[in-house]
This record gives sequence, structure tokens and C-alpha cells, in this order.
Amino acid sequence: MGSMTGWTGKVLRVNLSTGAITTVDTGKYVNYIGGQGLGYKVIFDEVAPGTDAFDPANKIIFSVGPLTGTGAVCSGRTTVTTCSPLNPYSAVADSHFGGYWGSELKYAGWDAVIVEGKAATPVWIRIEDDKVTIESARRLWGKGTFDTQAEIASIMGKEAHVACIGPAGENLVPASFIRTGQSHHGGGHGGVLGSKNLKAIGIKGTQSVKIASNAAEWNKVLRENLAVIGANNQHVVPNSPQPWAEYTAATRWTAAPGRFWGAAEPPVETGTCDPKDLNSIGFRTLKSVFDLGPLAEKYTVRMGGCSSCPIRCHSELKIPALEKFGYSPYVASTCVGFSGPGAVMLKGSKDVVEKDDGPLMAKALGAQITNDLGVWCNYSQIAKDFDYAYNSGIIKKVLSPEEYTAMRFDLLEAKDVSFLTYFYEAIAFKKGEFSHMADGIAILAKRWNFGDDYWNTKKYSVWSKMGYPKHHSNETDAQVGTLISIVKNRDAQNHSHMNFIGSGLPLAKQREIAAEIWGNADAIDEPLNYTPITKAKIKFAKWSLVKLALHDSLTLCNWMWPMTVSPLKERNYRGNLGLESQYYSLATGTKKTEAELDFDAERVLHLHRALTMLQMNSKDMRKDHDALPSWIFNPKGGFVKGSDYMDRADMELSMDMFYEELGWDKATGAVTRATLLKFGMADVAAALDKKGLLLG
Amino acid sequence: MDKEKNKEGGVDRLINQTTSRREFLKMGGKGAAGAVLTVSLVSFLSSCTTTGLGAGKKRVWATASGAVIHSTARCSGCRRCETNCTMSNDGKAHPYIARVKIGRNLNFGKKGPTAAYWMNDGQIGNLKIDGETCHQCADPYCGNACPVGAIGVDPSTKARVVDEAKCIGCGACERACPWGMATLDPEAKKSKKCLLCNGDPQCARYCPNGAIKFLPWAEAVKLYQAHGQDHI
Repeated sequence: MGSMTGWTGKVLRVNLSTGAITTVDTGKYVNYIGGQGLGYKVIFDEVAPGTDAFDPANKIIFSVGPLTGTGAVCSGRTTVTTCSPLNPYSAVADSHFGGYWGSELKYAGWDAVIVEGKAATPVWIRIEDDKVTIESARRLWGKGTFDTQAEIASIMGKEAHVACIGPAGENLVPASFIRTGQSHHGGGHGGVLGSKNLKAIGIKGTQSVKIASNAAEWNKVLRENLAVIGANNQHVVPNSPQPWAEYTAATRWTAAPGRFWGAAEPPVETGTCDPKDLNSIGFRTLKSVFDLGPLAEKYTVRMGGCSSCPIRCHSELKIPALEKFGYSPYVASTCVGFSGPGAVMLKGSKDVVEKDDGPLMAKALGAQITNDLGVWCNYSQIAKDFDYAYNSGIIKKVLSPEEYTAMRFDLLEAKDVSFLTYFYEAIAFKKGEFSHMADGIAILAKRWNFGDDYWNTKKYSVWSKMGYPKHHSNETDAQVGTLISIVKNRDAQNHSHMNFIGSGLPLAKQREIAAEIWGNADAIDEPLNYTPITKAKIKFAKWSLVKLALHDSLTLCNWMWPMTVSPLKERNYRGNLGLESQYYSLATGTKKTEAELDFDAERVLHLHRALTMLQMNSKDMRKDHDALPSWIFNPKGGFVKGSDYMDRADMELSMDMFYEELGWDKATGAVTRATLLKFGMADVAAALDKKGLLLG
Repeated sequence: MDKEKNKEGGVDRLINQTTSRREFLKMGGKGAAGAVLTVSLVSFLSSCTTTGLGAGKKRVWATASGAVIHSTARCSGCRRCETNCTMSNDGKAHPYIARVKIGRNLNFGKKGPTAAYWMNDGQIGNLKIDGETCHQCADPYCGNACPVGAIGVDPSTKARVVDEAKCIGCGACERACPWGMATLDPEAKKSKKCLLCNGDPQCARYCPNGAIKFLPWAEAVKLYQAHGQDHI
């Protein structure tokens, strides 16, 4: 301990029941890389299968990895792992937030924080380098996330970074999040903090993250990384014609001459952003216009994001009209952080300040309210659940007439965005029956007796009885998207495949590159012109999952990584898939090739599988866990050009091939003894064996 | 600059342009160990700064060739400058000692959180990012405060730089700098301050938003003054 590089060498353990604060050697977890791998291993080692998410015996792990805080590109993310309150088995799930908290944890000298037990009264954890204390949160309990961060920073110092819950987490709302900074949150785990009476963790660090190598070697990799990086989601083709660009496509590379950070003082032009200009990388992604439409340009103060990331994908806006609703005019979020909360306006949104600004205002106000109260949109699912419950008449049935009136559905009908305040406040403060709206798919559908049409209709996009929605599934990448969606215990949130197919490069070019990586150009289909499963598609699906585990463990942002392609014509648009292992080798001093590091990441994936089997007490994962939603299939069978329909027989075959590729049992999808031993996981095999769940 | 040119250019040129401290001291007949000029000599040099004469002795500093400037409008708060700085100069990622300070004001501005935090500077406020950079002061507080003369002038850039062999890690420079830029490295126990990276500051070179610029000193001063910092 203490002599490691990349990692700090220390994991912090805080027991809120006993008040004990102890240290664990990170070395114990190095085979699992860090971040997600470390989190899964702690749950496997220490939390008995069947433990309810809100039981004090559940643990929650905030973990980062050997690259977090090193300055490696896009290395600012934190993985939060626990038994999920949204999953019917309280199965393990990881959520993630960006921002600056994870790097600060490293600078304070820690690779992870394991929180266990339950405090008798509300507390927060104060970390200042090696000094760790448990503080009373009596005065913080009930406050929104912004007030909480300000209060804690006023105690610890303005440099402190705080991860906290809002009222939603305190009130054990399953779809609640943990927030840090202006615009970063990890969804689904807020209630677990609430169940432990833990309001926040504040960190201030004065230490360094050391690397085994030297600055010259490190900077060489960094420069290569900056050469191949694109825009958000590693899109490498601009959205509009640019003098340097061969292609144009509907990408997130939205910078252009005449497009501005319009509310900056003075306004800043995003410009042409030649890929070779290292001083304009941060302007490539004008995400505000991409997410909120052209009206957002004049409200854009800047694009923001996470520590160490030159790609700024968070829109920071000044929208004076938000003050009318009692909120700060300064709002920031990205992507579904805007669209999810705003989508609750089922009937549309009328103008607030100018013509057609209703949708923008709904997104901005929805983001602002949920940011403060700590309600998570469950990757937009909350609006779809509301759509079903409201339009099917269920809400009218389950709410008392008084509550129904108090909810102000008249505002919803009138397309008045102030409805959002009633919607989210009822949830966060657990007011009445309506608050169960944020219980998540599995619990809510049972409580309100949703019909089969809820599960089987595409519109509601419910992926799994495990309680999660689709997320870049069959609609975007045929079998590959479908397969990556069956593995986790929450929405897939995988961008390894999305970044590649969305890069903007022409299909022929993508196929050329696909053949080099996955063995055949048929790894990818033309959009919505799907063809039967191939070996290369299976390899692509596995690769996508392994890379996600890698990134969530190192930690690097999978919304940017891997660097499969580049914006450089002279490189024939090839990226560099060896960068992660090069960074890893230089940081930790343990030399690994891309394949060797991917092997470690694959171990994380197998641990997730084994852990889920233990938690569900099932060895037939194909039936009990991986079952596909009916709405993805063509009732007549086969593929149809222009449709995202899958073919059932083809998908069954795909699952056979996928399980085999992963070394899982072909019939059941259970991870086998042989695979676990191949990855040096005898302890995991033994745990499965003890429960009668081990095959082979 | 060679001695002949100095003679030709006169004293004003000597002080206001590019002469290093060491060269100046040589001309003043003092050895390197002296590191100060007598008040009488300073009085003679009429264009020299006349403040802070303190103990009756005054050190004279060659003007830096330039300074690093931060633009709040262009900055996106990624803090790559901080790790670029310390990785290049110290071989580690260590924002706390970075010579350009973005992180400490990022969330709540220079003032820190107040009851009206949401209207004040910072990402959790009005979104304004108050980045801070070393002014390479004409009469540097850090250098004047150093009890062992460890802060001198870089021969090429004229930046005020720390000689780590001399630095005793006392933190006097950190306490003296009105802008909190010099920082004592808690690990190396040495002072870290902006050294202009041999004329190619790594923070500016790799800023993804072109929000950090290395400007000639006169231009940098104008910008500082435009922000109400008339002291420079």
C-alpha cells in the first residue's frame, strides 16, 4: 500500500452503523482493474445474495480507477455500485457520474469509498486527504442538491467537491440519483444513500496521482489521443460542411462558423474546428442546439463537462424565464438529462417567451427541478410510465379525487410547463399515491396493475422484467444492440457500439474498419435494413460489452471511448484502440497489451454474470434474466427493410452464439466453471457451486 | 543582453526591458549572494519601482517576457491545463500545485459559497469560471518574500522561477502572493509557481478551448488592468 502508481493504493471503508473508518489495500482488487470491477467485487465478497437494496446490510461503493485524475483524456468519471432498488431482485447495478468528484477522490488519496451500515441520524462524510470524519447532516436533510453542495463547500472550503442526494433520495424514491456539481448525476442509487441516512460525501484533496512512467512517454500517448479524438460520442464527421471535411452527417459535431455560445460575454463562435487545431476541440460539440434546438443557441453560456475531458457535452444555459417558476436561470445538463424530465409534458408544451419555445422550456425546467430534487427520469422511462398510467385511466383510478385535483393535471392538459413542478415535487417529497410514479418499471407495474399491453407495446419501450428500458438496443444496432441490452440489471447504457455506428463515416468506410476489428464487414448492417446474425456481429457485441466494463473500471468515459475511428482523412479515419492499455501501462507500471487489458475487463463481465446468478438464485439466465421483449419481434417473422423488427428464430440463434463466444453455457447463458477458472476466478466458481448454480 | 548594449541603452533600458537580475547585479558591483541593491542605488534609478523599500534594500527584477492569461468566456472548466502543467513540469497529475488555478474557483467563484450562491460566480452559480494565472509581477511578492533567494528570473523568458535546489519549502512565497498563485507542494516540499515552460506554456498550448493564452507582458498587463487590477 502506498507505493502504487495510477491507483492510490487505498480504499476507504466507512461503517455508518459503528462509525468505524478503516482502510483496505487496493491491491486486492487490481485484477478487476478498479471502478466497476472493484464495485462488483466488493458486492460479491461482502453483500449476501438476496439483500434488499434498502437493507442496512447492502453496501454502496463509489469507485474510480487507475486512470481517473491522471489527465488521461475523458478520465473524470465515477462508478457507483450497489444492489439496485429498481431491480426486482435488488441485483447489482452500477450508475455513473462525471464531473470532478472522482478525480478529487484520487487527489485525496483514495481509489474508492465503501459505505456500509446505516447511521442512526442523518450524516455526511467529510474527506480531506487522510482525514475522514462522519458529520451530522441534521441541518442538510431536506435540502436540495444545490443548497447541500453550497452548505458543505462553505464548511470544507470552496474547492470541495460534493456528491449528494436531494429529497428524493432521502425519501427512498427508487428512481432517484446521486448528484455532483452543476450538471452531473448517476441514476438509480439515491435511495440507497437515503436508506443509510447518508446525505453526502464531500472531498478535498491536495495530493497527486502518480504515474510509473515519465512525462515524455505520457505526453506522447496524450498527443496521439488528442489527434484521434472526435466530437461527443466520438463522432468524427461534422454536422455541416467544413473546409477540412470530406463528409457531412447528422452527428454531434455541431460546431460551425456562425454558430455561437450565444450567452457568453462576449459571445464565442464555435467555428470550423479543424481536427488538427488542438485549441478548438472543446467547441466541436455545440450540444445545446443538438439537444434543445436552434432556440437554445442564444441561451448558451458555454459547453461544460467533466474533469480532463476536452469534449464538452454538457450545455450550460442562462434562461431568464426559469425565474418565473422559482428557479435559477442558470441550468445545465445533457441529452436525456434534459429530454427525460421534460417528456412528462405528454400533451405538448405551449410557448413561454417566444413562438415554439415550449419544448425547450419543458426540458430546461424539467432538468432544473429534477437536478435540485434528485429525481431520476430512469432514462426517460418515467415519462413513458406516466403516459401509460395517465392515458389508460389508471391514475384516475388509483388517486383519490382530492389528490387527483391537487396534482393539477389541468395544467398538463393546458400544455403549461409549470405542471412539471407538481409532478416532481409529489415524487421527491413522497406526497400521496402519485409518488409511486418513480418506483420504476418492476414495482410500479405491479402496484398499479399495468396490463400486458404495457410490457408488449413498443411505445413504452420496456426492455425487461428486470425493470429497465431500452437504451441503444435493436432500434439502433440490430442483434448487437439487442445482445448488449440483455446482460445488465439496468438499461444497457453502452456506447462502444453506438459511437462506432454513429460516427458519421459512410457505411462502406465503417464496414472496412469493422472487417479489420471483428473479422468481417457484415458486423454492421445498413441502418434499419437488418440481416441475419453473423459471427462478426457476435464479436462486435462482446467487444462492446468488454470495452464498457473496461471504461467503467479504468475509469474512462464510454460516451467518448473507445477511439475506434478518427476525424483524420490521412489516417483513413482509423482511430487507436491501444490507447487505454498504453495509458494503463504507463500509469501503473504493469505493461499490458490491448488484449491483455481487455481480458481483465472481461473478467469484470463474468463477475457481473455470476453475481447476478447468485442474487437471482438462477442458473437459467436465458429464461429468468435475458428474456427479450415481445415488441422487438416481427409477428410475421423475418426482417423488413425500414423497420427495426428482429426475427425471433434469428435472435435465439444469436443468443446461442453470444453465450458461446463469452464462454457461457449455450442453453442457459450461465457462466461456466471452465470460464471462471480460465479467468482465475476460483472463488467465484466456489460460491456458485455452493448454491448449486455451477455448470460444467 | 550583453554589457555593451546595456551601456549604450542607458539605465532605463536596463531596467525596463530585459536585463536579468543576475546581470543587473553584476553591473551594480554586487555578487550573486547579495541579491539586493542598496536604497541609494534604487533612488538613483529614478524609473525603478519605489514601493516596498522595507529594510532599506530593494531588489530589481527584469520584466517577464509575457504572462499567461485566462478567458472566462472561452473556458469550459475541463481543467486539462492543471494536469498538463504538473505532468509536464512535475511528472505527476497534481492540480493542487498547478500554476494555473481553475479548480479552486470552479463551483463557487473566488468568493466561495454564499447564501446567494446561485447568482454569484461559479458553475453552481451564474456559470462564470474565475480562472487565475500567475501575473509574473513586475515586482514579485513571491520573489521578494523568499528568505533564501530561491526565486529568480529565468534567463530566456524572464519568468519568476523557483530554484528547487535552493528552495527550503517554507511557504513564504505562498503566503506573500496576493493571488495565491505560488503553492507549496505538500509532497515535494518545494514551491511551485508559473515558470512559463521555456516560453511555451503547456497550459496554453493544449487548452482545448484556446481559453489560456501566453501574451507579451505589456498586453497581459492591459488585460489585467481591464479587469480592475491596476497594481501591475
